Amino acid sequence: MSHSAMLEVKNVSFSINQNRLFQNLSFNLSEGEAIHIKGTNGSGKSSLLRILLGISSASKGDVIWNAAADKIFLGHKNVLKNYLTVADNLHLHGLNATHSEVKSMLQELNLHNKTDLLVGNLSYGQQKKLALVRIFLNTSKVIILDEPCVGLDDQTRVLITSFLSSELDKNKSIIFTSHIPLEIPSSEVVIGRL
Amino acid sequence: MFILFKLELFKLRKKLRAWLGPILVFLLITISFPLTVELASDDLKNVFYSVLWIASLLTVMVSVEGIFLEDYEDGTLENFSVSNDSLFAMVFMKIFIYWLLIGVPISLLGTFFSISMSGQISSINIALPSMLISTYIFINLFSLGNSLSLNKGSVLGALITMPLLFPILILLGKIVLNAGFGFEISNLLLLMLGVLLLIIVCIPFIISFIIRTHLE
Repeated sequence: MSHSAMLEVKNVSFSINQNRLFQNLSFNLSEGEAIHIKGTNGSGKSSLLRILLGISSASKGDVIWNAAADKIFLGHKNVLKNYLTVADNLHLHGLNATHSEVKSMLQELNLHNKTDLLVGNLSYGQQKKLALVRIFLNTSKVIILDEPCVGLDDQTRVLITSFLSSELDKNKSIIFTSHIPLEIPSSEVVIGRL
Repeated sequence: MFILFKLELFKLRKKLRAWLGPILVFLLITISFPLTVELASDDLKNVFYSVLWIASLLTVMVSVEGIFLEDYEDGTLENFSVSNDSLFAMVFMKIFIYWLLIGVPISLLGTFFSISMSGQISSINIALPSMLISTYIFINLFSLGNSLSLNKGSVLGALITMPLLFPILILLGKIVLNAGFGFEISNLLLLMLGVLLLIIVCIPFIISFIIRTHLE
């Protein structure tokens, strides 16, 4: 594995109950690169992400991460505590960002006046935005997102796209699944039939 | 590890009913028990310790009911298994903080009640160490049960764990018996401490493995 390579996926296959979702999937991810995993519903996109993260095991093949690649993941669950306020949730995730960075991101996502509200009282879209704040203010080198734009309005989607682009500029690597096209430079991995 | 401690403590502090509720249940049992029997009866002194053990057992069972469930449902455990942080450390810290916020207060309350029941300050030597050790063991074992039945309801977890608790209850009974006869109890306390030391290391490791299996 070269120094800039973050991930090497070699001939990965995955089956559930003898139903083969994908086979012999191979791709690489380098620093500052994004990969868009595409596929129809049930084609195994989320399963592939879970295999890459080491949560699930592949039926066959190898997933090799660079030892320096620390990962952060946002899946279908938002990793937020409903009984805590927005500010408390951000505190809980121990963000390394400065106060002004947090403030400006909350302002951009229109959450700045909601810091004292309980997360349980926010709408789904607002909770998703808050979950994304956690991702974008983290220092991990690899960002893995499963359908990051579900439940978000068009304006926020554009904003999220720009955040993702700036993460790439910081030499971070991104792997994401999305049915909604995101305007960031990325290579595609297609699984199943589109 | 210290950051983990701070974060878990922060979470539990904000969730008042998770730790204050069980302490109140314990208080209710220990206060209401003497009211239901003849106060002057000598039997009360004999059975009070049994009530203490059972009350602490039930309190711990209720308090750790959802120890991992919330983190499992909101994706925290998933994120922990992905990040470089150790799941073992997280489980260890969680159990320790539950003991700190629930186990220690009920041990102190139990000691206070045992002194007021026996009328002897020396009963602190029996109640305090045995309750401090036993509540930590109970929290570990019930957490194990809850991790096994993470997405299947807590009753199943409690049922699985119950047989593992019997030896500890027998030991606690022996401590009271020996103390009653004026025999040495430090050997039994040391035995319990030994069991606890073994459990402190093994149980979080087993739980973290079980959680990984659940996530998969």
